[in-house]
Amino acid sequence: MHTAAIDPPGIQWLRVSRKYVTVRLVEWAIGNVIMIGLFSLPLLFVQLGWWKWPPLWLAVAVPSAFLVLALWRLVLIPRQVRAIGYAERDDDLLIRRGIFFQRTMVVPYGRMQYVDVSVGPVERMLGLCTLKLHTASPGTNAHLPGLPAAEGARLREQLSARGEARLAGL
Amino acid sequence: MTQEQTAVDGDWHRVHPASPFVRGWVALVAIVYFFGRDTFERTLQGRGTIGDNINERTVWLLVGGGVVLLLALGSFVLNWYFTRYQLAEGFVRVNTGFLFKQQRQARLDRVQAIDIVQPLLARIFGLAELKFEVADAGHSAMRLSYLKLAQAKQLRATILGRAAGIADGSETVEVPEAPEQVVLYLPPGRLVGSLILSEQSFFIVLSAIASVLISVLTESRAFILYLIPAILGLGTAYWRSFNTGYNFTAAISPDGIRLRYGLLDTRAQTVPPGRIQAVKVSQPPLWRVLGWYRIRVNVAGYGEHHRNEGEHRTMLLPVGRKPEVMMMLSLVLPDPGTADPERVFTAGLKGLDSDGGFVTTPRRAWLLSPLGWRRNGFLATDTALLLRSGRWWRHLVLVPHQRTQSMALHQGPLARLFGVADLVLHTTPGPVAPRLIQAATEEAVGLFDQQAARARQARKLQNLAQGNSEQWLAQLPPAAMPVLPAPPTTRAVQHAATQEEQDHG
Repeated sequence: MHTAAIDPPGIQWLRVSRKYVTVRLVEWAIGNVIMIGLFSLPLLFVQLGWWKWPPLWLAVAVPSAFLVLALWRLVLIPRQVRAIGYAERDDDLLIRRGIFFQRTMVVPYGRMQYVDVSVGPVERMLGLCTLKLHTASPGTNAHLPGLPAAEGARLREQLSARGEARLAGL
Repeated sequence: MTQEQTAVDGDWHRVHPASPFVRGWVALVAIVYFFGRDTFERTLQGRGTIGDNINERTVWLLVGGGVVLLLALGSFVLNWYFTRYQLAEGFVRVNTGFLFKQQRQARLDRVQAIDIVQPLLARIFGLAELKFEVADAGHSAMRLSYLKLAQAKQLRATILGRAAGIADGSETVEVPEAPEQVVLYLPPGRLVGSLILSEQSFFIVLSAIASVLISVLTESRAFILYLIPAILGLGTAYWRSFNTGYNFTAAISPDGIRLRYGLLDTRAQTVPPGRIQAVKVSQPPLWRVLGWYRIRVNVAGYGEHHRNEGEHRTMLLPVGRKPEVMMMLSLVLPDPGTADPERVFTAGLKGLDSDGGFVTTPRRAWLLSPLGWRRNGFLATDTALLLRSGRWWRHLVLVPHQRTQSMALHQGPLARLFGVADLVLHTTPGPVAPRLIQAATEEAVGLFDQQAARARQARKLQNLAQGNSEQWLAQLPPAAMPVLPAPPTTRAVQHAATQEEQDHG
C-alpha cells in the first residue's frame, strides 16, 4: 500500500479499518453543510431583495468556492484514511499519516505515560475506537483513529504491558 | 540551626505563623485603607476622629472595617492552622484547607527541581517559599509558603538528599546541605548591556524612528502622547528583566545545578543532574559583536506556569561569553559524547556548512531558506543530538538522547519537491522546541531510525544504572561522592570515580 519517502525502510504498516471512511464522511457532512449553508445566506437574502450590498457575483462566488474546497476534501478522505498506518516494533510504536503533509511519528513504549481509548457515537455504531498515546511532552499528539474495537483493546493492553516493562523516568 | 525542624519521619509540620500575613498583606492594607481613610482624613484635618453626629458614617465604617478585618484575620489563621506538611516514606505530603480539605503527595525520587523563592516582604522577615516540581504530580508544583530561610534550606537539602538516594527515609538524622562551588557570576554591567542590546531595544529604536517620522510628516505633536503607555510597558519589561537577572549566580553541587538571582525578589533554583530535558543556546544579531549568548532550558514542570515566571526560571544563562557557555554546557552535559567538544560546540554556535561534522540542508534546497541552508544542520554525538539553525538569529539546540520523548518526521509538498524533511523532537513543555529543519530526506529518515535506537540505548543504560528509581547518587558508594554531578550513564560513573572524592554524608 501507500509508503512514502519519509517512512523508515522495511516497515510493514498495519492499516486502520476502511469503515473509518464513514466516520470521516459524517464529520465532513456535518462540518461542511453548516459552513456552506451559512455562506449561502447572503445569496438567499440578495435573491429575496432584503440585502443590497453583496453583488450577486460575490454572493455566488463565496459559497461555490467553499463548495469546491469541500468537494476536494471529500475526494481526499478515502486516500487520507488509507494513508493512516501504524506498526509495532520491539521498542516503539510507529504512526504515520497524511498524503500531502506527511507525518511519521515514533513513540517509545518506555515513554508512554498512559493510553486512552475513546469511542464517539458514529464510531460506536461502526464498532470502531480511537487510541491516544500520552507522553510527558504535549507535542506527542499521537492518536490512532478508526481501529476496530477488538484491535483497539488489544493494542491498549499490549502497549500498557510493554510500557510497564520499559517505563523510564523523564 | 533549626532544632525543632528536624526531618523526622511522619511528623506533621506547620508553615511559619506569619506566612498568611506575608501572602495576604495587600488585602489587609486594602481593608484598612478603604474603611479607615475617612477617619484618617478627619484626624489630619483636626476635626476629631468621630464627628459630632453619632449617626455619621464614620462609626459604621470603623465597625464594618473591624468586622471585615477580623474575618480576614480569622480565615488567615484557620488557613495557617490547617496547612501542614510531612516528609515520610519517600513522599512529601501537603494538607491544605479547612472547609475543602486537600492532600497532595509527591514521590521524592521524581523531584525535577526545587526553588527557594523570597518575595521582597518575605525577605524582610527572613522567610522563604519552598517550591518543587515533581514529574508525577500532574500540572502544578507543590509549594510550602512560608518557612524560615534556614528551615527551607534544610528541607531542600533533606528532599534532595532523599531524592538522590543518599539518605533513606528511616533515618531521623538531618541531611547536611550539599557543598557547592560557584562557577559563574554575572556582573550587573553586562546585564544592563545585554538589555540595551536585546531584541526589544532593536524594535524600540525602530518604532521610535517610525513615530518621529510619522509625527514630522503629519505635523501632529499629539502623536507622542499615544506612545506614553507603550513607554511605561517597556519600562516595566526592562525593570522585570533587570530585577530578575540581577546578581545571577550559578553554582554546582552534588545536588545539581544551583541558580540564584534577583534584586528585590530573590530565587534560588536547584536542578538535579539529568533533569534538564533540552537546551537552547541562542544569539540575537546585536549580541554577535560582543560575542554574547543566552542559554535556556526545558525542565519538566517549569514550562507550565505563569508565563513571566517561567520565562526567567528557564534561563540557565541570561548573557554570557563563549567560555561561560561552554562551561554551562559541560554542566548540563557532563559527558558530551565526542572527543573534541570545544570544536563541535563552536561549530554549533557559529559554524557554517560541515564544520565540526554537522550535516546541513542539501544544496538543492537552498531556495527554501536562502540564508539559513548553510547553517541548518544536525550532529549526533554519543550522548546528545545537536541541532543548529539560523544565520542571523543563531540557535543551537541540544537534546540528550535519554531525554527524547518521541519524534516525528514531517514533510509537506514543497519539501518533498526539494527532497527534504523536518524532524521534530518532542520534549516537555518549555522554551526549547527542538526541530531539525530541511534535512535531506534520506538523512532525516536515517537520523529518525538511529535516534530512536540511540534513545532506546541511552534509556537502557539509565535504567541499568539506576534501577528505574531516578536516584541519581544511589548507584555510587557513599564514600565516592563526586564533586561534579554524575550523569546517569555507566560511562560517566567510571569517569566520575576518577575525580576528586568527597564525603557527602
